[in-house]
Amino acid sequence: MTPNQRLILALVISFFFLMAYSTVFPPEEQVTNEQNATTQVTQSVEESSGQTNVDLGHDTQATTVMGSSDAVLAKLTGENYVLTIDTLGRIEQKEMLEAKFADDKIGNAKLVAQTGAKPLYIRFADNDLNEEAIKTPYSSNLKEANLVDGHAKVTLTQKLSDLVVTKNLTFYSDGHYDVQISMSKDVRYYVYLGMHPTFSDKQMMSVEGVMVYSSNEISTIVKDGDAENMTSYVDTVLVSSFSQYFASIFYNVGRDTTIKVDRDRDDNPVVFMEGSKEFSFNGYIGPKDYKILNSINPELTNAIEYGWFTFAAAPLFQFLMFLHDYVGNWGWAIVILTLVIRILLFPLTFKGMLSMAKLKEVSPKVKELQAKFKGDPQRMNAAVMELYKKEGANPLGGCLPLLLQIPVFFAIYRVLLNAVELKGAEWIFWITDLAHMDPTYVLPIIMGATMFYQQHITPSNFTDPMQEKIFKFLPLIFTFFFITFPAGLVLYWAVNNIFSIAQQAVVNKKFAAHKKAKSEE
Amino acid sequence: MIRKFLLSLLTIYQKFFTLIGYGSCRYYPTCSEYAKWQFEKNPLHTAFFQTLLRILRCNQLFPGGIDYPLTKKLNCKIKKDKMSPIKYWYVPKGKNQYYLIKNFSKGKSC
Repeated sequence: MTPNQRLILALVISFFFLMAYSTVFPPEEQVTNEQNATTQVTQSVEESSGQTNVDLGHDTQATTVMGSSDAVLAKLTGENYVLTIDTLGRIEQKEMLEAKFADDKIGNAKLVAQTGAKPLYIRFADNDLNEEAIKTPYSSNLKEANLVDGHAKVTLTQKLSDLVVTKNLTFYSDGHYDVQISMSKDVRYYVYLGMHPTFSDKQMMSVEGVMVYSSNEISTIVKDGDAENMTSYVDTVLVSSFSQYFASIFYNVGRDTTIKVDRDRDDNPVVFMEGSKEFSFNGYIGPKDYKILNSINPELTNAIEYGWFTFAAAPLFQFLMFLHDYVGNWGWAIVILTLVIRILLFPLTFKGMLSMAKLKEVSPKVKELQAKFKGDPQRMNAAVMELYKKEGANPLGGCLPLLLQIPVFFAIYRVLLNAVELKGAEWIFWITDLAHMDPTYVLPIIMGATMFYQQHITPSNFTDPMQEKIFKFLPLIFTFFFITFPAGLVLYWAVNNIFSIAQQAVVNKKFAAHKKAKSEE
Repeated sequence: MIRKFLLSLLTIYQKFFTLIGYGSCRYYPTCSEYAKWQFEKNPLHTAFFQTLLRILRCNQLFPGGIDYPLTKKLNCKIKKDKMSPIKYWYVPKGKNQYYLIKNFSKGKSC
């Protein structure tokens, strides 16, 4: 074995080992974490009373403070969610009722973290006032409301010894809400954006954290675990605390409002903004669905991000959504996307097809050169290439069409990972969720098979027999590699292979016909 | 430093990732090999620009064939005590320009 072979072998073996290991020993789940966090929170509340450190006291448990188990003040039911407001006047929870968001272990998706700051929580800069506030429950004008078609106005009032806090909230069925906070006198206070829950089984490369989008179109993203010292922002369009599919957003906050991003104990970002005596803004909590956000306020769509690849992924998503509007199915939209890319590259492939016909005259000369430079692949390659150029017939596709595929591939991956619309999107037969791996493994196997066949019929130019061998194994390696990938991505690759095969088959057929015609002459 | 990093990236690419579309380059030397020679012998910005042009050229609209990188400077520093083996031949092309041609035959020295 050459060092090359050993290196590749080692790589392949370690890859399979990792796969096997993670199936046999799944990563430990952090069950105890939540309990710890709860006790920590109680401690932090006590601590904050002793010092003026703003770093502490972002999170307050309604139940621990009130000493009552029933902390829910109002319950609002929408078409596919239930939103609860607790006695501290915060959005206690928003539970999504759609089955596609449900998880086997934790049930329906919950959009607010169990511990940590909750949306609309008010903390006063003055510690004594704050102490009193977290012990005084709010009162509400209504206990329950149905938002299915329309909206509900909730007025929350907190009567402190020398201050009255009024929160006028209007909740709409699409998930957004209007907030109007009034204080009976001037005090310094902060309103919290709330924290999103973290999932232990989050997908590879999906980003979670906080985004601040400023009016000069700069978005700053602070990832969970990466938050540093407190940073202030002004002139903000929106601020969002997001997970893979959901977000809690404040917008229309006013240009002068100061938004602060602090960190909690786990270095996760915590967002709050400085309020005024009469303070109104808008909020949204729910899935990062393009159409919903766009219908509420087009600026909200800036909260949808696809990581550093947004510049390519966002237009791709727009195009996929455009296709989806016509065909009504995300799977078919992906198939059409593949076809469109093929059509765009057609001038190139057509040119390649034309040169194919000339190849016949060249092939004996190629054989000649191969015999002549046997054992010297470098010179042979150079000679063959020059011959192709001279005859104007080059059977090879070129690097550009290949490299162009990579950004498209990556953009689709990001879209499948982050676009909530593709969550639970069906295709045909057994594919029920394009954003998730194919549980039957059929699609990756089809992908591998088509790839193998495509390689089989495509001419290639090998100088190193070792690399040729690995090349032949590539479909197998890819099949295993693709097993855990979202089905939509595998679908894209498989369809791409099928189109390549069809195209190559046409070329080969033409070539054969040409050959026949020539020999009959 | 950056040069070394980029060159090692190219080597990794050649070892593994190139397999996806192995043997599809229309040129000699292949695009990745061309890039390597460029980054070894030319200033970084020139190398980057030339490599980009080369990749853009590498499609069915261009004939392909032999396309050696060009360089302007002759930086053949020969160390006093050591006779280093020849790595590149500099073949003059007009004024102050040289084709870079890698030497693959072993055993000879400068």
